[in-house]
Amino acid sequence: MVVDRSPRLDLVFHALAHPARRAIIRQLSGGERNLSELASPLRMTFPAATKHVRVLERANLVRRRVAGRQHLCRLRAAPLRDAMLWTEQFRRNWEARFEALDSLLEEMKSEEKSRSRRH
Amino acid sequence: MNPKGLQISTPTDTTIVLTRTFNAPRRLVWEAMFTPDKMRRWMLPPPGLTMTLCEVEARVGGVLRLAWKNEEADPFMTLEGVFTEVIPHERIVHTETMATGSGQTIGTQVETHEFAEKGGVTTMRITQAYDSKDARDGALASGMDQGMEACYKQLDELVTQRTSP
Repeated sequence: MVVDRSPRLDLVFHALAHPARRAIIRQLSGGERNLSELASPLRMTFPAATKHVRVLERANLVRRRVAGRQHLCRLRAAPLRDAMLWTEQFRRNWEARFEALDSLLEEMKSEEKSRSRRH
Repeated sequence: MNPKGLQISTPTDTTIVLTRTFNAPRRLVWEAMFTPDKMRRWMLPPPGLTMTLCEVEARVGGVLRLAWKNEEADPFMTLEGVFTEVIPHERIVHTETMATGSGQTIGTQVETHEFAEKGGVTTMRITQAYDSKDARDGALASGMDQGMEACYKQLDELVTQRTSP
């Protein structure tokens, strides 16, 4: 099958590939947080956290706004949904095949049963 | 979750592992998986494609040859491989190369099927090993263009649950 490479999805998967960034996403799923709130539970310096947030911003997973002296980060769901969709269809294709296999196996089992009854 | 439920994992950068249980002895699961007329029944083609060739010789050195056509091209896509290891009803390994109808290779992989039976229930484990992470990711992404709309709503709900405060 011809597969379109999606640079946008590449960014999303790259962003999700680091445990610190997944932790940030988990924190943000609880709502908007400022950068130091994000940095402290990760035992991370402010610049290090900023670096990770930038990667998440580039993937469009996080939006940052400045309110006074605070940098507030918020999660964006759409790219995550795309990332899930990316593997979801692979699963669906195989699920459909295995369901067909289930019914085939039921047929084979009852054929065997009726054959052994005849003998 | 359904106890038969399909499990998909990616234990390394270049592999995909699928695990699924079937309510049948492994002898029958094996027969269903590797007999051409039975394989045609479950190997559902992507929408718009029809399977035109299905050759499976489940013995060492035996070939695997599949082909599909669509309205524009016959063949539209082909799959060719060779069985390299066969322990009947237990373990089978084959190579496979997917190609376009014009013969351009899309990707190659080595696929291992393992069967374990307990109380008439068979667990089948398929390990797909690709040449590279890109190839693996490409395989995972295949079909992404199909049925996108159909599952969008469901995913929407999932994501909303997961990301709303």
